[in-house]
Amino acid sequence: MGRKIGSEKLGNLYSGGKVRKRREWRGLKDTLYDYWRWLKIMGMLAGFMMKPANLKGFLRYRWMLNYLAVPQMIDRHTAGLRGTHLRIAREEYDLVAKDVALLLTRVFRADKNCGNDKEFSKKIVVLDENEMFHIMCGFPNLMAVSWETAAVYVSVLLRGDGVTHYLDVVQEMGMPGDVCPMPAAEAGVCIDDDIPIFGACAIQCNTTCDGSLLGNAILAKRYEEEGIPTFQIAAPLRHTEEGVQEYAAQEIRNAIKFIEENTGEKWDWDAYFRCAKRFNEETRHRVGWMEMSRTEYPQVIGANLALYSETTYMAVAGRSQEFVEADRRITALAKKAFERKEMIIPEYRHRAIIWGVQAQYYTDFLPWLQNCWGILPLVDMLSLVYFDEISEDDPEQAIYDIAKLYQEMIMRNRTHGGYELLLDDLWRFVEYYNADLVILWEHISCKALNGMHGLFEERAREHGVRLIWVNHDLMDPRVVSRQSIRDDINRYMRSVLHEEPLDPSLEVIDDAMSW
Amino acid sequence: MKDLKHLYYFEQLLDDANNELVRKAQAQGRKCVGSVCYQIPEVLLELPGIFPVRLRAPRTGSIDMGTYYLTSFLCEYTRALLERALEGGYRFLDCLIAPDGCTMINRCVENMELLKTMDKEGFFFKYLEVPMKVDENALNLYVSECRTKILGALSEHFGIDTSDGALRKAVSDFNRVCRIINEIGDFRKEENPRITGYEFHVICMATYVCPKDMLVGMLEETLEEIKTREPDSKKKYRARVALVGSEIDDIDMVKLVEESGALVVADRFCFGSLPGRKEIRLSDTEDALTGICRHYMTESLCPRQMNISKVLYRKEYINQIAKEYNADGIIVEQMKFCDPWAYERMTSTYALREDYHYPVLSIDRPYAVGNSGQLRTRVQAFVESIEIKKIQGVSKK
Repeated sequence: MGRKIGSEKLGNLYSGGKVRKRREWRGLKDTLYDYWRWLKIMGMLAGFMMKPANLKGFLRYRWMLNYLAVPQMIDRHTAGLRGTHLRIAREEYDLVAKDVALLLTRVFRADKNCGNDKEFSKKIVVLDENEMFHIMCGFPNLMAVSWETAAVYVSVLLRGDGVTHYLDVVQEMGMPGDVCPMPAAEAGVCIDDDIPIFGACAIQCNTTCDGSLLGNAILAKRYEEEGIPTFQIAAPLRHTEEGVQEYAAQEIRNAIKFIEENTGEKWDWDAYFRCAKRFNEETRHRVGWMEMSRTEYPQVIGANLALYSETTYMAVAGRSQEFVEADRRITALAKKAFERKEMIIPEYRHRAIIWGVQAQYYTDFLPWLQNCWGILPLVDMLSLVYFDEISEDDPEQAIYDIAKLYQEMIMRNRTHGGYELLLDDLWRFVEYYNADLVILWEHISCKALNGMHGLFEERAREHGVRLIWVNHDLMDPRVVSRQSIRDDINRYMRSVLHEEPLDPSLEVIDDAMSW
Repeated sequence: MKDLKHLYYFEQLLDDANNELVRKAQAQGRKCVGSVCYQIPEVLLELPGIFPVRLRAPRTGSIDMGTYYLTSFLCEYTRALLERALEGGYRFLDCLIAPDGCTMINRCVENMELLKTMDKEGFFFKYLEVPMKVDENALNLYVSECRTKILGALSEHFGIDTSDGALRKAVSDFNRVCRIINEIGDFRKEENPRITGYEFHVICMATYVCPKDMLVGMLEETLEEIKTREPDSKKKYRARVALVGSEIDDIDMVKLVEESGALVVADRFCFGSLPGRKEIRLSDTEDALTGICRHYMTESLCPRQMNISKVLYRKEYINQIAKEYNADGIIVEQMKFCDPWAYERMTSTYALREDYHYPVLSIDRPYAVGNSGQLRTRVQAFVESIEIKKIQGVSKK
């Protein structure tokens, strides 16, 4: 262990319990840096808990227990990193943690079960977790808040089994176990009455998929019972077709009108275009990082790219200058590291495209790929979203831009809209990024992805591309464990490629109980 | 009861997707349009020169190939269809028009396309965006999609007359069949019905998988036959049930339910008459296409329609038909691995029990029911529970 990359046998840190035996030693400089950032996070968490409404929320909602694992989540995602790449990761994760803390503070302040600040609540529009937040760019005096993000999405990121209780609840109600766990868990939270109640109105969206569309009905009924009027945006599935764009744009106009009517606020074009400029800059940064990944010295890859891109593209959507500043710092760090030809891991054995939907309970699988087998996860399907720039000054075009963004929500832009986007585009990216491997996340409950299983295999053979299937059930680690996910890779690497791991201590780890 | 004269013939028609009437119609030069979902307005596919066939996979055995391509997590209907397509069972079709509706049916049809399972020259596939809500914006979309991807495609490829007049005539012919089906179906409301649920299902399904004009004569004869049919002197059923849920194109399903002591008095499922055989009312104040789209959008009971009023209406609709057909209980069924009906079954079962106070049996089932002992036991137990409730005098509401 030390300051050199690959010097720590990371598997030896696992104890079989919730926490590691010790934290990673990264050499004096990097450990001090990492420790300082860790202290800042702990300070932020302490500050969060000092607010009475937050403390009340912590005690009221079962899903809040998952937030005890915040520091460990960041540690998992920065495993093995040194120097610039550690700093890039900390820029991202610490900012995301801060943003989630702000989200939770707003939730609990407004929530009738906690802070019950009714005037504050009137300034909130409740959004789905799997929905672009971009529509709120034109309402600078309102806040977009998604309790689903806090209760379900982030919960599982922090603790793999963070929502299994809610899955059990909804399955006891009669829901079959083969549906996607994400909307099922959201419905379970609602049925279990663990749902914060706040907001002037709610905007739901049918993205990502049928599951979201259907689960929303359960939530909408609860919202209506609580006096929170709900509007549902139906984002067309055939999103590449010209024929649906007017429909999509009208949905956005209707949604804007709904928000105006229920909040008393008026759409502000100046505010919107300020967001649009930020959004475009964020897009340029993301595209720049991914362009760098075409070279021999990628810098922003794997979990560093995936989780952060989801947040900025979907949840931030240009509304926060802080994220733009972070993007600039990340780009500056990445450029310097690129010029110095800095490596992320000691040896680059394979360049991989990560396709499909990640296991939410094992998002640190990508750092594991790097550290254990020397596989570079260059880009992932969820980051390969909108590459174009949106209008920064034309109100008429802007409505179509917002509509397009709603249709091309992360993941959904590929799982829906035709097989070309999911199946054919993969091979183009393999060539574009000069990859030799595809890691294909097969979320077993995702019918959109499963429905192309056989054709993925046939096309991989035709293109001569090595494809490794990695099965999971998104938010239920009881169905497919983390070790089982690792074993999908281990088996392929040993049996087919006859390789030995870079870090053998990571091949089999006892992390079933681990935070 | 005396056997219905044409029932055996209708059953034979259901034995094969490329049945005798389909072959006869194609021999006359008519084009066969494959359909997989209610949301492709059936009546638009019944213009002169074409006829629709709603795809089924009768006598399905193994679905291993379909499972390889789609995995075991997609609904069995879609896997069975793909299996049949891979076997060459749909090569008689001239085109396939599908909605980008439920993800699974979309993937099924995409696989059919990519695996080149239909190789007729000039064969085409079309994928429509269909409404997920019921409002004017959705109606405009629906009309536009139907105009370009159905009418436009049929006109371009087959030279079909898609004028307003042709559409109105198609609606008139469609309504004629609907009236017959509904009149036959109304006999199920009787205390001792002179038609069983199974017989009705066979008759109704025949209208989905054959050119209707070739059936209408036999349907009218069947109706006349039933009007004078003597019911059995003793009721053969112990409970009347409404069968509600996802697609049922396997006639063995209704047969199984009725062999277990229940009588299926109402059929609220895909391939059923409710709402699939509701007459289309056109007005003179809007063009026929808009009227047709308005009908299909408004009447659709697909769980993928997400506005809350429709979500609640679907439960209320079941209540209405249960009352209308004097159902003692409701069987809510879903195809295994069907996502939309997974949610709808859960919420409907809850609402029908708690809000509407019906006895409800909630089941999932495979595509080919066969002689499933498990299902039979469930239905038998349900029938007994209804009988016990009746004896105990528990009121429905």
